[in-house]
Amino acid sequence: MGAVTDDEVIRKRLLIDGDGAGDDRRINVLLKSFTKWCNATGSPEEGFTQYQRMLGTLAQCEFSMGKTLLVYDMNLREMENYEKIYTDIEQNITSAHDKISECKKEIQRAKRIRKNRQEYDALAKVIQQHPDRHETLKQLEALDKELQQLSHIKENVEDKLELRKKQFHVLLSTIQELQQTLENDEKSENDDTQESSMENGE
Amino acid sequence: MGPVEHLHMSVFSQSFSPCGRFLAAGNNYGEIAIVTPVSLSAPLTPLVFLNFLYFSRSLVYSLSAHEGPVFSLFSTDTHLLSAGNGEISAWSWAELIKRVRPSSLEIPEINAMTVNPTENSLVIGGGDNNIHIMDLESGVFKSVLQGHTDYIHCLSVREREGEILSGGEDGAVRIWDYRTGQSVHCIEVYKYEECARPQYGKWISCLTTESDWMLCGGGPSLSLWHLRSMSPTSIFPLSGCQRQANFYQDMILSVGEGQCVSHCLLGGEVKAQIPCTPHSLNTLALNLNSTDNRVLTVGGSSHQIDVFTNLSYRTFSLSF
Repeated sequence: MGAVTDDEVIRKRLLIDGDGAGDDRRINVLLKSFTKWCNATGSPEEGFTQYQRMLGTLAQCEFSMGKTLLVYDMNLREMENYEKIYTDIEQNITSAHDKISECKKEIQRAKRIRKNRQEYDALAKVIQQHPDRHETLKQLEALDKELQQLSHIKENVEDKLELRKKQFHVLLSTIQELQQTLENDEKSENDDTQESSMENGE
Repeated sequence: MGPVEHLHMSVFSQSFSPCGRFLAAGNNYGEIAIVTPVSLSAPLTPLVFLNFLYFSRSLVYSLSAHEGPVFSLFSTDTHLLSAGNGEISAWSWAELIKRVRPSSLEIPEINAMTVNPTENSLVIGGGDNNIHIMDLESGVFKSVLQGHTDYIHCLSVREREGEILSGGEDGAVRIWDYRTGQSVHCIEVYKYEECARPQYGKWISCLTTESDWMLCGGGPSLSLWHLRSMSPTSIFPLSGCQRQANFYQDMILSVGEGQCVSHCLLGGEVKAQIPCTPHSLNTLALNLNSTDNRVLTVGGSSHQIDVFTNLSYRTFSLSF
């Protein structure tokens, strides 16, 4: 147990007097010189110089104490600063996470949009291969007109044909009638001459 | 499982559980491996990453599901459905060892399975050129859609319009109305000049739909179609035949022959090709069900399954 506490003590003392050559030694030297000065047997000038020297070392001790106090303050404030920075960074991280998830949603939306656009493009390609609607309509109209004209002409031709047929029919029937009448006349003439020859023969 | 078997292993299908915490992968030996991370209560992503790392070196839990290869896996809310050569098994996610209902059919190989949530029915496409629709509750087959002239590779369901799309070896993508059971449209992709690649053939091996758009590829190049006008809008200049493609956000992810995952934009350009371990990839799965394990996993002709936690690079590989 004694050994442990000794170690602890040694460790603590080493920690406190970390920089080694400094303050602890200075305080010890001051104490020694104070006791020596109190029990001084020398001349007053020597006593005075020793007194001055002691004041000097005291000032040095106070100075180093002030320095360490300032360093302590500084460390406290640095800690606060770091805490602040830490919380800032944490906030940034959470907001970045949020932004990431938003961006992921955006990506999904953009992918959907891209897919729709590509489908549209693909269909448009196919549609482009087919001819324009206006042109086809125009072609259809032109064809319609031609068709009408041709049917008109056909009607005319048919009418003419009918007319000619009828005219020929009339002509032929008149010719036939004339033929009939001529035959009838001839026949009646023949009959007459036969009767007259028969009468003459008796 | 010896080293020779490891060398010849191919992963054909993958599926994530509905809670997003488990990955099931099926290989050509008829095994299904379930990767179960140690603890998912850890909210930090690095911790989950470490958990996955731990399992990447050790053997993941695997169960021997079928005698033949497991060609397709599908997760419903409560069960994992696996299909191989003519038999479908349903495994409950709650207790992974319990096989709930095996059913054997006459279909030679079942290449694709998907669920129609509005009618709660399972749509199966396979090697007999037909699509079978089975009711999930009762296990009874409701109808058969016939029309393909060769076997079916892939299926997709459009719930809003009530349609089933199927792509097959005969090069045709057929759109069926599941209520009437009739084929509404038939798109023969290889007949379109811009898509066709006669050197690879006319088969369609990957099909996926999203609202009005459809991606299909295989022998012909991977192409994006607008279903309302039935016209191809973009062709993707990827060499090799694509085996699976998915829409993800504004991109298209596709895997196939070639040691990479291709990221493409809808306009037709290939944005990036991320290299990965298997030489030729068969399946791609995205875990969208869970928020902390948003990963992409790919598997192919290797015993390793690559996991991507960030789409731009391969994070690590899981081993069968």
